[in-house]
Amino acid sequence: MSPDQASPAPKRSATTPNTAFDLKKSTLVASPELFSDDILHLFHEHAALDVIPIVEDTLPIGLVNRHVFMNEMARPYMREIYGRKSCIAFMDKQPLIVEENTPIQELSFRALAAGQKALSDGFIIVKNGAYTGVGSGFDLVDAVTKLQAEKSRMVMESIEYASVIQKSFLRPSQRDLAACLPDHVLLWEPRDVVGGDFFVFRHFDDGFFIAVIDCTGHGVPGAFMTLIMASLLDRLLQHGNPRDPASVMAEMNRMVKSILAQDGKHEDGGGSDDGMDTAFVWFNTAQRSMTWAAAKTPLFIVEPASSDAAPPVKVEQINGDRMGVGYRTTPMSHAWINHNLNLAPGSSVFITTDGIIDQPGGAKRIAFGKKRLKNMLTEHHSLPLMAQGSRIMQAFGTYQGEQTRRDDVTFFGFRP
Amino acid sequence: MQDLYIDATNTSPEVDFRFNEHQLVLRGESYPENAAAFFGPITEALREYLEQSQDQTIEVIIELTYFNSSSTKVLFNIFDMLNTAAANNTINLHWRHDEDDDTILEFGEDLHEDFPAINYIPESFES
Repeated sequence: MSPDQASPAPKRSATTPNTAFDLKKSTLVASPELFSDDILHLFHEHAALDVIPIVEDTLPIGLVNRHVFMNEMARPYMREIYGRKSCIAFMDKQPLIVEENTPIQELSFRALAAGQKALSDGFIIVKNGAYTGVGSGFDLVDAVTKLQAEKSRMVMESIEYASVIQKSFLRPSQRDLAACLPDHVLLWEPRDVVGGDFFVFRHFDDGFFIAVIDCTGHGVPGAFMTLIMASLLDRLLQHGNPRDPASVMAEMNRMVKSILAQDGKHEDGGGSDDGMDTAFVWFNTAQRSMTWAAAKTPLFIVEPASSDAAPPVKVEQINGDRMGVGYRTTPMSHAWINHNLNLAPGSSVFITTDGIIDQPGGAKRIAFGKKRLKNMLTEHHSLPLMAQGSRIMQAFGTYQGEQTRRDDVTFFGFRP
Repeated sequence: MQDLYIDATNTSPEVDFRFNEHQLVLRGESYPENAAAFFGPITEALREYLEQSQDQTIEVIIELTYFNSSSTKVLFNIFDMLNTAAANNTINLHWRHDEDDDTILEFGEDLHEDFPAINYIPESFES
C-alpha cells in the first residue's frame, strides 16, 4: 500500500522537446486503495508536491490537486467523514492523459481544450495506456515557446538568405550607377528584410536606363515579384529600345499580364492581381535629355536658380500616369506616355516609391507627404545627393517615430 | 438588411455600414496582410445593399489615414460600385482628411476624377 515510484525521468535532451515523452517527469503516485488521510500525509511530507496521480495497477484514473484537496479537507467534519475512505473522493476524475508519442503541438491544443486545469495541474503521460509519468503545464508552455522560436528562427534564416540573393541582384545596378553617376543617392530599405521594391540601372553607349520599381506586396511575396519584374526587364532591355521607356513599359505590361495569367483569359477568381508602380527613365548623356514614362510614380526635378531674381531653387513634381503595370484592371493595350525634358546643369532628379510619402507619423499620425519631401529637397539642394539622402532619411525616421514602418522604402536621385 | 459593424484593428479600419440608415462609414488605417480576404464580406454586403437601393440618398463617410496598395485596389472597386449605383441613387462621398494631409486629399481628388457620378465632398478637419 505504500506509494510507488514511477520509472526515472527520461534524460532531457538539449534540443527542443518534440513529444510528450520529452516532458515526462517522475513523481509520487498513489493507488486508489490509499485513504484521504494518507494523501494528506503525503502532501505534508512533500511540500514541493502539487499533484498526485492516482494509478490503479498501471492505469491512471485521476489526479489529486494539492490546493483543491487541502481546501476540501480543511472544511468542518471532512476529515472525519472522508479521512478513512478512498482517496479518489477528491481527485479530478478526468485529467488530461496523453500518450508519450503525442507531438508537442498536438499536446498544446489538447491542453488548451482541457481548459485551465491542464496548465495548473499538468497532465498524465502514458504508454499504450499504462502510466509512465506526468508533465507540467509550465514545461509545456516552455516547450511550445521553444518550438515557436525554433520555427521562426528557421523562417528568419531562410528570409535572411533570400535577402542575400535579392541584394546580389541589385549589385550590378549599384556598381554601374556609381561608375556612371558619381553624384547620386540610392536608399533601398525593405520593410521585412526582403521586399517588393527594386531598382535597375543599365549603362549604354549613349546614355543610361533607370527603373525604380514598387511591386505589389512586401516581404517574401514582394521579393518574388521583384525577381519576375527584374528578369522581364532585363530581357526587354537586351532586345527592346531603352530610349523609349513608354514602349518598354507597355511591353512589360503585356508580359506580366500573360505570365501571371492576369490577361482576362483565366477568370477562375483565385489568381493573382499583381503588378508594379514604376518609373522608367532614359537619359541621353551627350544631350542631357531625359525621356521617362511613369506608372503611379512621381518624379521630382530640383532646379537651381536660373537667375539672381528667381527663387534660389525650384522643385517641380511631375506625376506619373495613374495606371499601374501588369494588374488585372490594366488593359493589355494600355500605352503610357513618354515625358521629355532637357536637364539644366546642376539640376537633380529624384524618384521615390510610396513608402516614404505614405508613411504615417508626426504628432497627427498622418502621411509624410510630398510637400514635406519637396521642402526637404529645397532645403538641402546644395548638398551632395548622398548627404541629402541621409538628411531626408533621418527626418523621415524622426517623423515615423513610434509608428511601425508600413511599406518598403526606396529613394533614388541623380545629378548628372 | 442587416447592418455591418467591424471594429478597427491596428491594420484594418472600423467598418460601420448602417444600411438601414443609408450611412456607410470607413475609418482608420487599412493594411491587412490579405486585403481581398478582409474586404470580401464587406464588398459582398455592399453589393447586396446597392442592388436593392433605388432613389436613395446614401451618405458615405471615409476617414482613412493610411491604406496600402492592395487596399487601394479594393477601395477603387467599392467606389466603382458606388459610381454605378449613383445612376439610380444620390451618393454623397464625404472624404475626410486632416487639414495638413495632402496625401489623402490628393487621393480623394483622383477618386473624384475617376468616379464623376459620386458627389465628392472633401471635408478637412483639425486635429
